[in-house]
Amino acid sequence: MLILRALIGGPMHGYGIASRLRQVSDDVLQVGESSLYPALQRLLLNGWVKAEWGASENNRRARFYSLTATGKKQLVLEREEFARMVEAIQKVLSMA
Amino acid sequence: MSAPISSWLARAGRRVRFRWQRDRLDRELREELAFHLAQIQAEDNGAGLARFGSSTLAHEQCRDLWSFMSLERFWQDLRYAMRMYARTPVFTGVSILSLALGIGGNAAMLSLINTLLVRPLPYSQPERLLRITGIFPRAALPFFQTRSHSMEIAAVSVGSSFNLTGEGSALRVTGSFVSPNFLSVLGAYAEIGRSFRPGEELPGSDSVVILSHGLWRERFAADPGILGRVIQLDGAGRQVVGIMPDGFAYPSSQVQLWVPMRLDPARFAEYWGTEFVPLLGRLQPGASLAEAQAESRSLVTQFRGTFPYPMARDWNADSTVIPLQRDIVGEVRGKLIILLSSVALVLLIACANVASLLLSRATTRRRELALRAALGAGKARIVRQLLTESVGLALAGAGLGVLVGSGALSIFKSLLPASMPGMAQAAIDWQVVLAVSVLAVATGLASGLAPALSASQVDLAETIRTGGQRASSGFWSRVRGLIVAGEVALTLVLLVSAGLLLRSLAKLSSVDLGFDPARVLAVQISPNPVFCAGKTGCLALYDRLLERAAAIPGVRDAAAANSVPLDGQVPTVPVDVEDHPRTVDHPSPMLWFGAVSPEYFRVLNVSLLGGRYLTRADSLQSAPVALISASAARHFWPNQSAIGKHIRPSSRQAWSTIVGVVADVRHYTLSQGLPGFVPGAIYMPYAQSAGENGQMPTAMTLLASVHSDDARTRNALQRLAEAQDPNLPVGRVRPAEEIVSGSIADFRSTMRVFLGFALAGIVLASVGIYGLMSYWVSQRAYEIGLRVAIGATRTRILALILGQGMKITAYGVIGGILVAVVLTRFLAAFLYQVEATDLLTFAVVVALVTAVAAIATAFPAWRATRIDPVKSLRAD
Repeated sequence: MLILRALIGGPMHGYGIASRLRQVSDDVLQVGESSLYPALQRLLLNGWVKAEWGASENNRRARFYSLTATGKKQLVLEREEFARMVEAIQKVLSMA
Repeated sequence: MSAPISSWLARAGRRVRFRWQRDRLDRELREELAFHLAQIQAEDNGAGLARFGSSTLAHEQCRDLWSFMSLERFWQDLRYAMRMYARTPVFTGVSILSLALGIGGNAAMLSLINTLLVRPLPYSQPERLLRITGIFPRAALPFFQTRSHSMEIAAVSVGSSFNLTGEGSALRVTGSFVSPNFLSVLGAYAEIGRSFRPGEELPGSDSVVILSHGLWRERFAADPGILGRVIQLDGAGRQVVGIMPDGFAYPSSQVQLWVPMRLDPARFAEYWGTEFVPLLGRLQPGASLAEAQAESRSLVTQFRGTFPYPMARDWNADSTVIPLQRDIVGEVRGKLIILLSSVALVLLIACANVASLLLSRATTRRRELALRAALGAGKARIVRQLLTESVGLALAGAGLGVLVGSGALSIFKSLLPASMPGMAQAAIDWQVVLAVSVLAVATGLASGLAPALSASQVDLAETIRTGGQRASSGFWSRVRGLIVAGEVALTLVLLVSAGLLLRSLAKLSSVDLGFDPARVLAVQISPNPVFCAGKTGCLALYDRLLERAAAIPGVRDAAAANSVPLDGQVPTVPVDVEDHPRTVDHPSPMLWFGAVSPEYFRVLNVSLLGGRYLTRADSLQSAPVALISASAARHFWPNQSAIGKHIRPSSRQAWSTIVGVVADVRHYTLSQGLPGFVPGAIYMPYAQSAGENGQMPTAMTLLASVHSDDARTRNALQRLAEAQDPNLPVGRVRPAEEIVSGSIADFRSTMRVFLGFALAGIVLASVGIYGLMSYWVSQRAYEIGLRVAIGATRTRILALILGQGMKITAYGVIGGILVAVVLTRFLAAFLYQVEATDLLTFAVVVALVTAVAAIATAFPAWRATRIDPVKSLRAD
């Protein structure tokens, strides 16, 4: 979901996604950056993102990922789902 | 989140595409990862590298996504398994063969059981078909039909012989007398033509016949024009009205035609006496089995009172109503269950054996597996690899097993009565193949699971360091010991069963027949009843035949008789006996009936115990005489001589004087001599054997004692009758010895099957023991070397190993004896003069099993004594 959210601003390559996630989350969410790639492949497989080769900022060949229509739908779905869950957790917590 | 099918399909499609382009994807990913790393390096001079993690792992995970990994792993495992099979051909061969044996046997049994017990009868609404147990005179049919509210009732006789003449050479066929409604009650239909119509049981309108598909094809070239034609059966014309479809086989597959059962109270003997028939019924809508049973019981009681002659008070007292399917399989059910359980035993042994072999192989492969584990193979992965191997073995076994199965099926079929309806349909079909495949996978899992688990519990460091020779867990060794002991026990059970049958067979073969079948040829010659209605014509024919037969070169003597001992016929006759008046409590006793020419006793060498034999002087005109058997004489006159007493078949007026007593002959079966309800035999001169109505017995057999049994003599006998009358159906010339051995063919083949199972079992078990002990010795090489080094003699080492092997065998033997004592009870019905717990058989089998086990242990033990302490100690 985080990857999908990161891509909402437009196509991005793997390194970009990783840096973006790092920045946005203020280094709280730190996973092995290499595990980003299996996750991307899974998204490709699900058809939620698509990939194109292009030139990076420093003119190197890089693969840019962008959201597909189903990917956008999926993001909305997952955000609702996530919001519901957070709400539920908060309810439980406030009860205590 | 629910994924609709379409998106699932799209996913699968992309996965296939990914798999296709795997190499390109791989390259791209590599480039991408390199780019990422380069960026990290460029940005903060490599400080972020730790953040990245293992790029190899990422690569691996991606690759999993691009392909059908589980499928590919399976192929990998399978290829690996194939290499293992090829590297150990003996192991593979033994495993596959033993599994094929077990699975094949089971496939055959499954198809039999499916056809006979599970699949419903091929008639409409077969679950409503019933059989009223017991047999009834024809008079019972209208009685039951008019009074029963819960059932529609039909009668179908077991079948009797007819002469079919005028269609090529004369033919003896089997026909069943049926009530006209039998097809509608059964729920079956004629293939072409029609069923019988109501009223066709009445005298005068009963000259119709329905043919079986088989007879129609063989005799009438499957010509539909046969409908409406008149054919000659027993010299009387009957119009063909219908042809049954192929596969219709009720009451048995031997029946080739059906004729209406004539209901004519004027023919007293036919209506009330001679032939008793089975009744079957179809449950009326709304009626239940319990209602039918209660109704049938009360009807049987009412009917008993209507007999015009004294009928035993307990006649058909135990008659009840059972489902027709149970009636059809009734007698073979026990046999099927015994067969199935022994086949299952063999499969168990085969399974245990493969498990045991796999266990020992798992230990020898410990090192290899440890290496694989060290290289990162997960436990689940190793278990899966090993299971793939064992399931592969089982599937190969199953493939071969289907072939074995079709062979086994024909053997099993030969053990069951060939005439059973539906038997011919039993075949290895897709249902069976499916069941076998499931069985094979289960077998593979069952036999592979223990070894796989044992192998996966490898202590890596320990195994690699010591070379895997001594690192074994005691638990799995004990499991193997248990498996092998179980094998020994199962083998013992099979061997005891085979042994008991073998002893019965030996007892049967040495039984005193009461006659000498050596150098006697028999051929059945049966004129039409019409021809034999006039006594003289029939008598003259036989006299002429006997005269001609005796003149054939090589023939010493010729006789005629209505049956040959052990030929399967049951000619019995109710008799009146002097000093024994008939009462309700003592109805007419039944005797085995022999209508014989005087030479009969000479040809078959039946000894005379008192009085005289029959002679040519006992003719149509002379005073009626009879011989009885020793058992009949004892039964009727235990304290006095039977000679001079009088006896007659119940249907006659004239009494015959008993002029001699002859030895008991085993007419019915080798084990029983005579059926239980028959206390003895009566022999009457053929010339005097005509019934009150003048009808002579027609199905006669010509017996000839010969100097030597050669083809020329046989040919001459075969042609004899044809020369007299081309309309006489002539059977095949058979030696009497063949008839005798044929009577126990069924028994002999049962014994052979058990023996086959037992032999397979003992071979498998000895392989099992051998494998276990070899493994044990190789495991203990170090220990044995040590023992030798500190002074143990060869004999002591031998004793150590043998002792270990014998201990396992002893457990197996004790277990086997216990199981056998419980199980052989079910064999009791097949045994002859041998107790189901026969001590001698048990002792011999135990000795045999122990001896074989000892031999199987001896090889590894001998090898153990050759262990060089220097080598084995230095090995580690």
